[in-house]
Amino acid sequence: MRFGGFSLGFILILTCFLLEFAARPAAAYIDPGTGSYLLQFLIGGLLAGAFMVKTFWNKIKAFLSHLFRKP
Amino acid sequence: MSEQGIPSSFRDPSGSLFLREGVLYRRVNKIYQEHYDHLLGSRLYETLVEADLLVRHEEMEPGPAEPPQSYRLIKPEVIEFISYPYEWCFSQLKDAALTTLQIQELALDHGMCLKDASAYNLQFRRGKPILIDTLSFEKYVPGRPWVAYRQFCQHFLAPLLLMARTDIRLGQLLRIFIDGIPLDLASSLLPWRTRLNPSLLVHLHIHGRLQQRFGDKSVEAGRRRLSLAGLRGLVDNLKSLVKNLTWNAGGTEWADYYQDTNYTPEASEDKRRLVTRFVEAVRPKSVWDLGANIGLYSRIASSRGIPTIAFDIDPAAVEKNYLQCREARETRLLPLLLDLTNPSSGIGWANEERQSLASRGPADMLLALALIHHLAISNNLPFAALARFFHKMGRALVIEFVPKSDSQVQRLLASREDVFANYDQPSFEREFGEFFTIECAQPIAASDRSLYLMRAKESPA
Repeated sequence: MRFGGFSLGFILILTCFLLEFAARPAAAYIDPGTGSYLLQFLIGGLLAGAFMVKTFWNKIKAFLSHLFRKP
Repeated sequence: MSEQGIPSSFRDPSGSLFLREGVLYRRVNKIYQEHYDHLLGSRLYETLVEADLLVRHEEMEPGPAEPPQSYRLIKPEVIEFISYPYEWCFSQLKDAALTTLQIQELALDHGMCLKDASAYNLQFRRGKPILIDTLSFEKYVPGRPWVAYRQFCQHFLAPLLLMARTDIRLGQLLRIFIDGIPLDLASSLLPWRTRLNPSLLVHLHIHGRLQQRFGDKSVEAGRRRLSLAGLRGLVDNLKSLVKNLTWNAGGTEWADYYQDTNYTPEASEDKRRLVTRFVEAVRPKSVWDLGANIGLYSRIASSRGIPTIAFDIDPAAVEKNYLQCREARETRLLPLLLDLTNPSSGIGWANEERQSLASRGPADMLLALALIHHLAISNNLPFAALARFFHKMGRALVIEFVPKSDSQVQRLLASREDVFANYDQPSFEREFGEFFTIECAQPIAASDRSLYLMRAKESPA
């Protein structure tokens, strides 16, 4: 069975996974949304990794362009 | 001295906006003291103001009547014209989104974080989006996810995606959903293929689903944290996603109008000359060009340093106009989306949170060029109703009369019965004469049209 492009199995696994480390949004004057917090915990590691690789790559590129700019 | 609260300023307990003797102030409450001091002490405020990303403010001496919760009284720079996201074209909303993310990056650099990401906190000043809410920042709490992530996705990401990938007109959903488009709704309206993009899958589709699933639940956090690198990664990923969204403003009815008009070069030149003459005679402090298309005539005013708003119903025309403004770094012209037959009304709480168009006026001068036949014939509006509306919106009016003999009017009548027996120049002059003093009427050379300069009567008949 599919729901909006996701299989039921996928949704169940994801839900169980999320319930393991579900979050309580901290005090904020807008509603941050429990689902939005959960999602950030879920993807945080991946995004941190991708961001660090990108930052490192940009530094290499900057270093190389600096190197080749030298007379 | 009485204070008049600003109706949209009620959500955030950090402070509030009010008018005192016509001057806008923001009260910073003691509850926000720690964050306000950090904003200034960390030099984030200075950095943002210097980069034209946040409005400048001046700290004022608090009066003896300040309420006990008050910490500081500030006088923020005033924005000439407040516009709303549902009045922006695609690229205006996109630029506002990118500005929000840039501010968030700078905030993180200074140990702070945006605690809201409302599109209504951005305004266009000198052609560029700028944050107007000085109290949008809070000290960064290590490990804490971005409180405003959901709001950012609802206010920016969902409408931008719907506009770019489904239909440009869906940006108007922002008029209905005051806190942004619900992500589950956006998810159901987007084409299936958007799920193939990992970023879209996560930020929109899964995000929407999780919100539905956990919307009313509060459960324990345990030891979970979002690292600073993770938060920066989130903002960076959103930035790449928004940057890559594009919408091609081609092929709509109006955006090609100037290539598809019945004006001869001589008529066009004469019209330009007359509009220039009228603008120079009135020397208005503000101009609203109604039905401006891509802003050909709006620029007669804006190029003279007059703050000018170029309203048009066509998202493609507004988009082209905005892109032109951005490219030429025009600072006095603001293109906005507006359906004159259904202008922006007062919406939100008590119908006061977001102002109607009428309550943001009147303008010193209105331009209504090649417009009246669309309103009178396509929308069946009698001249009297039009005159009353223009009288409410502007102090002076430059209006073009387009007679029935004109090929553009004939085009409008081609597919319908001519029920407009009173659509003629004497009726036009008589009905408008009730509300305006006609100062000048000039036929436009090499055409059947005429251009009028009128001044609003103090007390119309």
